[in-house]
Amino acid sequence: MELTRRQLLALLGAGGAAAALGGCARDLAAADVGAPGFGDGAGGTVEMWCRSDTVNGVQAVVDAFHAAQDRVRVRLTPIQNGQYVTKVATAIRGGRVPDVIDIDDIYSTMFAFRDVFTDLTPLVEDLALGDALSPGHLALATKDGRHYGVPFLGDFSVLFCNTELFERAGLDVDEHTASFDGILEAARAITALDDDTYGWSFPGNASGALGFTVQPHVWATGTDLIAGEIGDQRGDVAGNEALRRTLDLERTLWDEQLVPPGCFADDASRWSADYVAGRLGMFPGGYGVVAPNASPELLDRSRVVLLPGPDGGRAFFDGGDNLCMPAGGKNPEGAAELIRFAVSLEQQARMPDGFYSPVRSDVVTPDFEAEHPLVTPTLASLDSGYAPTTLAYNLIYNQQDGPWLRMFRRAVFDGEVDAAMDEAQTTYDRILRQAEA
Amino acid sequence: MSAPAVTRPADAAPARTTGPRRPARRHGTLTHPARTGLLLVAPAVAFVVVFVLVPLVSAVGISFTNLPLIGPWRFIGLENYASVLTDPAFWRAVGYTLLYTAIVTLPILALGYALAVVVRSNRRGATALRTIFFVPYVVGLTTLSFLMLLEAQPNSGMVNVVLKALGITDGTTAWLVDGPLATGLLCAMVIWAVSGLTMVLLMSGMQGIPREVYESAEIDGASWWVRERSITIPMLRRTIAMTVVLSVIGSLLAFTQFYILTQGGPGSDTTTVVMAIYRRAFVQLQLGAATAMSLVLVVITGLVTAAQFWLLRERS
Repeated sequence: MELTRRQLLALLGAGGAAAALGGCARDLAAADVGAPGFGDGAGGTVEMWCRSDTVNGVQAVVDAFHAAQDRVRVRLTPIQNGQYVTKVATAIRGGRVPDVIDIDDIYSTMFAFRDVFTDLTPLVEDLALGDALSPGHLALATKDGRHYGVPFLGDFSVLFCNTELFERAGLDVDEHTASFDGILEAARAITALDDDTYGWSFPGNASGALGFTVQPHVWATGTDLIAGEIGDQRGDVAGNEALRRTLDLERTLWDEQLVPPGCFADDASRWSADYVAGRLGMFPGGYGVVAPNASPELLDRSRVVLLPGPDGGRAFFDGGDNLCMPAGGKNPEGAAELIRFAVSLEQQARMPDGFYSPVRSDVVTPDFEAEHPLVTPTLASLDSGYAPTTLAYNLIYNQQDGPWLRMFRRAVFDGEVDAAMDEAQTTYDRILRQAEA
Repeated sequence: MSAPAVTRPADAAPARTTGPRRPARRHGTLTHPARTGLLLVAPAVAFVVVFVLVPLVSAVGISFTNLPLIGPWRFIGLENYASVLTDPAFWRAVGYTLLYTAIVTLPILALGYALAVVVRSNRRGATALRTIFFVPYVVGLTTLSFLMLLEAQPNSGMVNVVLKALGITDGTTAWLVDGPLATGLLCAMVIWAVSGLTMVLLMSGMQGIPREVYESAEIDGASWWVRERSITIPMLRRTIAMTVVLSVIGSLLAFTQFYILTQGGPGSDTTTVVMAIYRRAFVQLQLGAATAMSLVLVVITGLVTAAQFWLLRERS
């Protein structure tokens, strides 16, 4: 048999492309969680992945699961936060998936919309929790009315207030955190107390942390920076009045030196340091960044409220993790049993021990409220929680070269609010278009 | 079993009817040159086919699809290329990468050359100096970047402490949140770290120049500068060309130091083209588009390298 050179090259090319693309395509079958008898007599080993940030909380649940029964064993593999999405995606592409994963709820959307997770709607319906189960978490893992994840742990953004400083300045927490005018008034009064005391704080060079704490001011008005449903999304930035007023507030706080100078370069590595040291009147952050570092005395004189809109309304970032089952897992029945256990009332009530929030509001009892007063406000207003459902969240809000951080810095530190918003509008639109291509 | 022979059939293409008639050549067959020669180069050919040709062809194939890291894929023709070539963010990253390359290339060469001049002789202490100058390259950009991340912090970092002690700044400079400042810091770090490699390459070239040539020049009364200009540099032309090409390619593919120190920010002020590709592949999970970007980068790198070869070619 004789081949021309051209034929040989064509053969090589076709072979290479077929090998590359063929290796990429692998359909993984999802279990039918609602099938009769599903889960009866589950056993064996469940492979579970979690992100390194949540390993302590997840390990506690796994230990309790092992103590509660001996049929199903869980092998937990923590994976570094920054590599998590890529590792999960690569595992799915390679066809060797864990049975259950604990995933940042903001990232569950992109997997749910790629149809690579098991439909857990029957499991969620069996829980019969309704709106008592974090709606924000659930929405991020929902496509066409079907739930591809179950809320697991909460990481909510709230406003910590140092009541001692409020009292010294003659301020009322509820009244002065209800609107931007109140916040400005409180920040000025608290900053005037001492040379080293400031009214407010933000990590000015940490895109993700700013997205976590600043966006709720906009959401409190009922608007978002992203408009439309997945598949037809665009930015709602230029001309967004709530956003403009939010950026104006942050710019004023910076211009009037009501925030520590270190905010300019803070990449969130010392995010809560000033609040923990008692030098801040108000601190937008999460329970998980304050509680592990603060003294019991400071926690005792702290109060938590939701983040306000410009003229009222309150909201918080409904962050945290969902539990999802990648399609193709070897032990779906054991995985489903573990998920049911993890969202049980008893396990959820223990979440604050690991510095997370529960994701079901029915966990709040008088005893729970007395023991965890800084966790309760969000649970009492779970419907005020929100997180944008989009395939582009990571690129827009969590990357240092994303449009969100650029807009924030240009508006706050350069004072070019409208120009920053106009520029961001173009970039939001481009990224959303690319993400949905 | 005999290897399949690849021949061009006589009737595969119409014969040329114009121009001088050339003798028939048996080019285009795998049985020419001789089989022994073919066997000798077979391992190298196999290596290139498996690790270069097949991945490259696969990459071209993937670039014509919408292949995501997760989910189904389909062929989309040239859509990825149309998207990449009209994406202002991609071209901004290309522009920044070229700027960065332009800034660091000459200083790396100049500093590397100067260091090579210092350590090329075998006089006492030269070996110790070579080691000292080469250590930053051995330590590597990853480690140096993590160190710089700490040392560039306002107030506490050594960079600011030293500049404050010298009275140049007030010690509060936030180097990594300002595009030009971050670029300057990154360039300084890279020049310092990489010039050690250039030094080693140039030094070995210098040591290969016959001593007699310098002695003749000295007898003729040539000064040190004249000897460098008229002997060393011309005889190092090929080595210099190689170091410049290596340096430029390394700069065009810069990623680690930017990823660690600035992550492309603030805004997209320090986003290199490889970082843009990384984001597309592993943040947006769009392997097809990222591969198209990579192939465009391959073309750009090839063009820049070809331009360098042309500029640095030997002139008679």
